[in-house]
Amino acid sequence: MEKKTPAKGKPSFEKALEELEKIAEKLEDGSLGLEESIAEFERGSRLARYCREKLDEAERRIEILQKGEDGTVEKRAVRVKPDTGEIDDDEDLQGSLL
Amino acid sequence: MEDHTYSVSEITRLLKKSIEGNPEFTSVWIKGELSNVTYHSSGHIYFTLKDEQAVLSSAFFKYANKGLSFRLEEGMSVLSLGSFTVYEKRGSYQFIVAQMRLEGIGELLKRIEQLKKKLLNEGALDPARKKVKPFLPRRLGVVTSPTGAAIRDIIKVAMRRFPNIEIVLAPAKVQGADAAVSIIRGIEELNRPVHSIDVIICGRGGGSFEDLLPFNEEAVVRSILASRVPVISAVGHQIDHPLSDDAADYAAPTPSAAAEIAVPMKSELMAEIDYLSIRAQTALSSRMAYLSNMLSGIAGLRCFRNPREIVTMRELSLVDLEQKMTSALKDRVAAGRQRLLALPDLYRLWRTETRGRRSRLDVAWGAVEKLSPRGVLERGYSLATDTRGRIIKSVRTVKPGEAIGVALADGSMGCTVNTIQREVRGGKEDAGKGKTKL
Repeated sequence: MEKKTPAKGKPSFEKALEELEKIAEKLEDGSLGLEESIAEFERGSRLARYCREKLDEAERRIEILQKGEDGTVEKRAVRVKPDTGEIDDDEDLQGSLL
Repeated sequence: MEDHTYSVSEITRLLKKSIEGNPEFTSVWIKGELSNVTYHSSGHIYFTLKDEQAVLSSAFFKYANKGLSFRLEEGMSVLSLGSFTVYEKRGSYQFIVAQMRLEGIGELLKRIEQLKKKLLNEGALDPARKKVKPFLPRRLGVVTSPTGAAIRDIIKVAMRRFPNIEIVLAPAKVQGADAAVSIIRGIEELNRPVHSIDVIICGRGGGSFEDLLPFNEEAVVRSILASRVPVISAVGHQIDHPLSDDAADYAAPTPSAAAEIAVPMKSELMAEIDYLSIRAQTALSSRMAYLSNMLSGIAGLRCFRNPREIVTMRELSLVDLEQKMTSALKDRVAAGRQRLLALPDLYRLWRTETRGRRSRLDVAWGAVEKLSPRGVLERGYSLATDTRGRIIKSVRTVKPGEAIGVALADGSMGCTVNTIQREVRGGKEDAGKGKTKL
């Protein structure tokens, strides 16, 4: 049985989701043998877990770039209200890359 | 006339006075085409205004051009408001522009159309060249003004759809002379791998045709085309979309719409994953149920359902054989009996003999019957039983005061033992008060 564990090969989220859907369809059409069905199901469970992890991977962070005196670009945090996404302090939204 | 001569400075000063002080030459609107446009590092813009017959050297100083909403380009038709000044050292006069408007938007549209044609011919707008943005961006880049409504809308929408999204804003000017350069700078910066940007939204809120001009500029359009990271053009517009829409990989009519294109709904995706997991689970369990049904179908065949049946079947045939054997045997016995019966004398003899014995037996049976307890009771005897219904055969098993039953031929009585006398075989012995010696 071939095993494409999403851990290292890292399919994109949409690939993983697509594959999960295919697995669901394959299981539904009932053409697989029992052992194969179980293997596919296990693979589907892994993909579902991987997708959920992917969705939680990012950490909310809003940043603005600012070109410094020496020409290097730096990042500064922009504080936002977590529930509405409104800017806490307009001063945070100051910057230029020129 | 000859008696009055001027020095060069004198006459120049006079000219300057007469020109600069003349209301005819102050705050005038001049229509002309731009040429020799030079953006100086000081922020001043120098150019020549011209028409078919004349040229006019002009300057658009920094303090005045700050609010300009478009970039000056060769051949542009403009309306300029300004005044004249004489530059004594050079002996030249200049038109100092205070304000400028685009003249002939139709002309400008034609230029945009030409640029579009050029890009099309190059194949730069080929749909096959469009980059596909990742379905699930982790880091979203935004090139827009830090002070406008666009960035606020984008942050709000993106966070509502995907609460843990990461957004990097490359602050840019979105109108005026610096706009093009600053937009290009932002796109380039966000393309640097260090930012790991998955998709860029580049745009601004709605504005006048002139306000949106930077997004029609060739340099901006080319930088969008060159972007390694997929770009969503997000310029608010009602009718004509800017060229950035054609160049970008995706186009949205507003910044909020761009955020919706860029960022999926996390809750929907979670629900989708759950839905697919449940489908897989349900399919597997119904598959199992189906297989187990099939299995029990097979197992339901007699041999699996009751393996003993095989034995039973064998047993049955064994019994069958046995019966056949027995009946065969019986036949032989019967045949033997027939043969026996074929000896009539002997049989008759046996029967008479038997009959004679029977009558003697009847007599004997009558005697036996008289000996039965019922017969005895009928003759006037009674039968004593203890509380458990056992016949009392000896006075030794009862004590005075004990309750006993006495059966007669037609009923029974409950009695109490008062005294006990024991009779010794062949004589009498007083048992006293029920105390007996064994």
